[in-house]
Amino acid sequence: MLLVPCPNCGPRNAADLSYNGESRPRPDPQTCSPEEWRTYLYLRDNPSGWLVESWYCSSGCRKHFTIERHTLTGELRTPILPGSKPGATKGSTK
Amino acid sequence: MNHRLPPADGEVLDRTKALTFTWNGKKLEGFEGDTITSALMANGHHIIGRSMKYHRPRGVLTADFWDPNTTVQVGDEPNVRASHRKLEAGMQVVAQNVWPSLSFDIKAANGLVGRFLTAGFYYKTFMKPAALWPRYEHVLAKFAPGGEVDLDTPHGRYDKRFAHPDVVVAGGGPAGLSAAIAAAEAGSSVMLVEHEHHVGGHLLWGTEEDRARVADLTAAALAAGVEILTNSTVTGRYEDNWIAILQRNHPGVVERLIKARAKTLVVAAGTIERPYVFEGNDLPGVMTSGAVRRLITMYGVKPGKQAVVFSANESGEAAIDDLRRAGVSIARVVDALTGERIVSTKGSKKRVKEVLLEDGAKIKCDLVVTAVGWTTPTSLLNMAGDRPVYDADAARFFPSGAPDNVLATGGMVGDGSLDDLIEHGRVTGELAAGRAAVVRHRLQVATARAETVDEAEPGYLADERTPLDRWPHPELFRASTHGIVDYSEDVSSKDLYSAAAEGFDSVELIKRFTTATMGPSQGKLETVNTVAVLAQARGDSIGDVGTTVWRPPYAPISLGALAGRINEPTRLSVIQPWHEANGATPILAGQWVRPDHYGDPLSEVRNTRENVGIIDVTPLGKLDLQGPDVANLLSLLYTNKWMQLPIGSVRYGIMCAEDGVVLDDGVTARLDEEHYLMTTTSSGAARIWSWIEMWLQTERPEWQVHVTPVTTGLTSINIAGPKSRALLGRLTDIDLDNEAFPYMRVRQGLIAGIEQCIAWRIGFTGELSYEIHVPSGHGLAVWERLLAEGADLGVKPFGLEAQRIMRLEKGHFIVGQDTDGLSKAPVTGLDPLLKFDKDDWAGLPEVRWSLESGDHPVIVACQPDDRSIVPEEAAQILRSGTTEIVGRITSSRMSPTLERSICLAQVSKEFADAGTSLEVLLVDGRRITATVIEHHAHFDPEGERLRG
Amino acid sequence: MGKNKPPAKYSAAGLLWRGLRKQSWPRVWREPEFKNSYDVVIIGGGVHGLATAYYLAANHGITDIAVVDRAYLGSGGSGRNTAIVRSNYLTPEGVAFYDRSLDLYKSMSNDLNLNVMFSERGHLTLAHTDSALRTMHWRAEVNKLQGIDSSVIDPAEIKRLTPSLDVSTNTRYPIMGALYHPPGGTIRHDAVVWGYARGADAYGVDLFQQTEVLDILTEGDHGSGRVTGVRTNKGDISTPIVVNCTAGWASTISAMVDVQLPITTHPLQAAVTEPVKTFLPTVVVSGSLHVYVSQTDRGELVFGASVDPVATYNMGGTLEFTEELASHVLELMPGISKMRLLRQWAGLCDMTPDYSPVMGPTPVAGFYVDVGWGTYGFKAGPVSGEQMAACVATGETPHLIKPFELSRFTEGNLVGEKGAAAVGH
Repeated sequence: MLLVPCPNCGPRNAADLSYNGESRPRPDPQTCSPEEWRTYLYLRDNPSGWLVESWYCSSGCRKHFTIERHTLTGELRTPILPGSKPGATKGSTK
Repeated sequence: MNHRLPPADGEVLDRTKALTFTWNGKKLEGFEGDTITSALMANGHHIIGRSMKYHRPRGVLTADFWDPNTTVQVGDEPNVRASHRKLEAGMQVVAQNVWPSLSFDIKAANGLVGRFLTAGFYYKTFMKPAALWPRYEHVLAKFAPGGEVDLDTPHGRYDKRFAHPDVVVAGGGPAGLSAAIAAAEAGSSVMLVEHEHHVGGHLLWGTEEDRARVADLTAAALAAGVEILTNSTVTGRYEDNWIAILQRNHPGVVERLIKARAKTLVVAAGTIERPYVFEGNDLPGVMTSGAVRRLITMYGVKPGKQAVVFSANESGEAAIDDLRRAGVSIARVVDALTGERIVSTKGSKKRVKEVLLEDGAKIKCDLVVTAVGWTTPTSLLNMAGDRPVYDADAARFFPSGAPDNVLATGGMVGDGSLDDLIEHGRVTGELAAGRAAVVRHRLQVATARAETVDEAEPGYLADERTPLDRWPHPELFRASTHGIVDYSEDVSSKDLYSAAAEGFDSVELIKRFTTATMGPSQGKLETVNTVAVLAQARGDSIGDVGTTVWRPPYAPISLGALAGRINEPTRLSVIQPWHEANGATPILAGQWVRPDHYGDPLSEVRNTRENVGIIDVTPLGKLDLQGPDVANLLSLLYTNKWMQLPIGSVRYGIMCAEDGVVLDDGVTARLDEEHYLMTTTSSGAARIWSWIEMWLQTERPEWQVHVTPVTTGLTSINIAGPKSRALLGRLTDIDLDNEAFPYMRVRQGLIAGIEQCIAWRIGFTGELSYEIHVPSGHGLAVWERLLAEGADLGVKPFGLEAQRIMRLEKGHFIVGQDTDGLSKAPVTGLDPLLKFDKDDWAGLPEVRWSLESGDHPVIVACQPDDRSIVPEEAAQILRSGTTEIVGRITSSRMSPTLERSICLAQVSKEFADAGTSLEVLLVDGRRITATVIEHHAHFDPEGERLRG
Repeated sequence: MGKNKPPAKYSAAGLLWRGLRKQSWPRVWREPEFKNSYDVVIIGGGVHGLATAYYLAANHGITDIAVVDRAYLGSGGSGRNTAIVRSNYLTPEGVAFYDRSLDLYKSMSNDLNLNVMFSERGHLTLAHTDSALRTMHWRAEVNKLQGIDSSVIDPAEIKRLTPSLDVSTNTRYPIMGALYHPPGGTIRHDAVVWGYARGADAYGVDLFQQTEVLDILTEGDHGSGRVTGVRTNKGDISTPIVVNCTAGWASTISAMVDVQLPITTHPLQAAVTEPVKTFLPTVVVSGSLHVYVSQTDRGELVFGASVDPVATYNMGGTLEFTEELASHVLELMPGISKMRLLRQWAGLCDMTPDYSPVMGPTPVAGFYVDVGWGTYGFKAGPVSGEQMAACVATGETPHLIKPFELSRFTEGNLVGEKGAAAVGH
């Protein structure tokens, strides 16, 4: 099982967290076109490689954070709490 | 026990403890310490099973865990590895895969037609006539190998353990022991896991001095604090060194699964002796050199009378010494190093009786011992990403490299003297400990609550180990004849040749086509010969053919051990014991166990409509929201408006996901200036809590809202019915007058003597009703007070079913039942709740586009024209006279209030107008008609009762 | 037949004849020469790619086709699935589509002259809750209207069909009923791959294993131009038509022509036990317990679950999968705790938001997709091949796959299979 470094709790078993997937910016709901909104809803880069994604420390501190994960090797780096800067949080053990 | 040797040094038997067991019903004796097969062989039983396809007699080949044809049934346990499992008193051991008996097996006739039953033959026949295939299939299934499952087997006691060792060492041979000692002495916590019953590896069947070394190493390991687990297997290495260990000898449990997050894994799995492929290599009496050495030295079993030994290495030489010591005469030593070769064997029905050599010699014997080299069990390393590489000079595969936190040592990485192996293990153990220390330090830093870890991180240790030598060894895989390659799957080298000729010529394709390596040892024993024969067939080198990818588990692991103690949690309201004591029929609703009814849901409905009923609605999701921005939050998540909700008011809302699909619904009350209580559906409680936090943290981090889940902190009781005011009035200081406390308002006060209770007026049942939320410690007391105080008012509890009927009479939809995974908010028909003059809310664009297109189904209430028929929930609504689906019944019940059937349905918009006749297809095939009514509510559409 | 002679006929008589004469069988497919131009290049040598090639040749006379696979034939999802076939889907479009697939599977052994060992043993989807039972009824009703043999049965009938199931009411997940689909069953997945490969090869289709696509060559604007060829590790091929029949790597292949897909890639894990004498005559699925199980003719239990929640291309598998699987299977069949898990593995599944595939043309002319197959790709292999072949050959999207076009996502017309349980087997 993957060890996911929560920026707040430190490394935890992935089963303690929830996975929210690829981070996508939310378009302005008043002005966006259907195509823009549905690209946000449905289309994904889904790369085989590094991906910026969102996790939720659901059984721990309940913080949402973003992290870079390599989707082939499982490497994780740069966990960031929303609104804070990279490096300001506790790092990975790897 | 005519094949038992006199007691000798090295044996693991306790000859003072004789154990009686049965073999196919016949009573036999063995000793404590025997394996099942050593006991059987000591009793002169050499046929342990029959082969899968041709039902040829088979005996002991390797005399260890991987022995391919010695799986037996022990009582209700199938597929017991008889060459590994220790004998126990009273064991009932039965041969598998035989019919009608081990000595006379009718299916052995398959052997006669073997040349027609080539690998994959079934793909090429039975196509015609198609109708007959199911019968062929039935016959083929009769040939399924393996033991029998007794479906009444109870779930025994299994357990699990979490461990956080610095170092796990897989393999307790000399290198593994040495690595464990070195790591422990360097300050690591170490678990050493040995697959067999004793640590020591090949030293166990070596010399007296070898065993003395084992004793010394074991003592040193224990002194250093190493936790030694024997008869335990590292079954898998998963991401980030998550290690699975199956412990088979933990007291009090059948098996225990240990899940260890190792900072470093050391793999010291040794080598496995590979069998030699030649005609007759599967006859009972043909064994590896390791098998005879284990049998003689550890188990005091004389494996035969007259042996031919085909030897290419020191293991063969040692076997010759052992055989002589055991009184087995050596008919011939066939020295592979001088170019001598075995060609084939002949046997009786029971065992080998003659060997043919390349020089034409025919030698009588009852035992053929082969020592042709090794194969490397790299499985655990593969799981870490290592891809083994073939070395032709050493005639075996070697690991090529794993991640930094996985290190290999011992025989699997090279050859050497015992001292060399121990030294390599020692250096590996130190390296493992050094790397573990780095990870341990980082963990301390990452999880430290205060800045207490200030020591500098230990330096990372590079791998500067001197590699072990690789001793040359001849590439001996197959003789000039064809023989069995995969013993458990009954696949011969000839099968592999023909499969390769047909084009199944890569290692993965040939494996799939012939099933070679797919059996119970998963290729530990067979892969190397499969690859070698395929290389021969292709005219290629073994290195170019490569090997397959090993997958977990390393050794089979019982479902019981994986499951552990079966414990699926449920959630209970504090009142649930009362419900059960008072005749409630429980129903599972998500994780909750709730009362479905107390015997008669229809009378519960009638009593609630006429008098007063109370229902335990604790599972209702409840979130306490506090802060200056709660109204903003509600406005963002609900489709309707919340900015002006007065203190003391309650409002209903629908939430949508970003795709506009209805996510949840419920009421939220404003208790104070910055204090709200939100309710969600029972199943949505956890999801909505996360949903709120996601919005607050990622999209609106500047908002100040505290979210606290209080679902189980509050016991929730709905008091419904015309006499509910009278009932609650007896227990509270809250002014219940309709003017003072009207519909959709919330009040706080004293209820049943409990302070700070919350009460609100809502109308899910359609009756005048108060939903009260009391601290759960007092929930049962309040419930009992309500029943006691209201006895004269006719108060009765009601369950989920009565509530469902009443909500359907009122036409309230249920998210997930009347809506589905594609129902956007306009489906609900509650268009006035969709406020497009707000800047933003979750799902806004999709809901707007859906409403604009008008191209969506809607929920309607309808009533069958035959009032006695209740269409099933899921009955389809069709365009009249056709099979075109235009909707479906989503909820239906017989209404005790209206004395007629009532429904909610989802229909295409063109069928949604009041008065439309719907054609409903019942499950039994009848078509009935139902008429859409004007409101969702079948009963009291004006809501006079709930406002009264 | 195409330019090559028909393959050696497989039959019992042939087995006997060759057995007597000790003759071996000829190769199942050729080792073709690598050409630098083809009419059609199909990426992915699994059931979908090979069936597409086969039907292009058999039904439309197009035989100048290269099928390229970066590993061996059937190395992806085709060889990693649990070989269950059924057609009892939730939506009319789903039912029609999978039913055609089931028809093709039924006649496949004969059509392809290779026994794919279709075992029509019946398929049970268990319901443990009211709401699951309601969904089963919904599916059964839709199925019946489409002429599919599908009905909801009670616990007594379930026990009669599958005695090993615990249908007592005092369990944590009581079995309240099941959707019973008699035509559902299992099939030998590798045989399907080899049957299509052998059939396509006989028509002259060139099959290239160990051939990895490195890029797709186009002319015109990014994301809307036209395909001109593919670049592989064995060289360039010029072609006007490329069909993406990959699973797992659908997004990365499509990204070569800047076509973004509504897909995330998740592993689906499976496991098999040691063999025991057969005792489980049906395919059993439990959505609530996220497990499905069947027993092979060899006596092994084959288990699957729902996809892993975290998107990844890593097929290493997890311990948690086996633990959850075991505890859930033992909920259903408490008597098998002493059976042992022999092997676990994973395949990659391309999950879409509406549990339905993405098929047909894309904004890039000549670039077709047959992707997004989630956990149900194997069951759809034959019909997908047939329909994709028609799509490519005629340039028109056939009505059976019209609901699955890529454009439905931006148009907001998702398919309604999302209503079915998360375990779609």
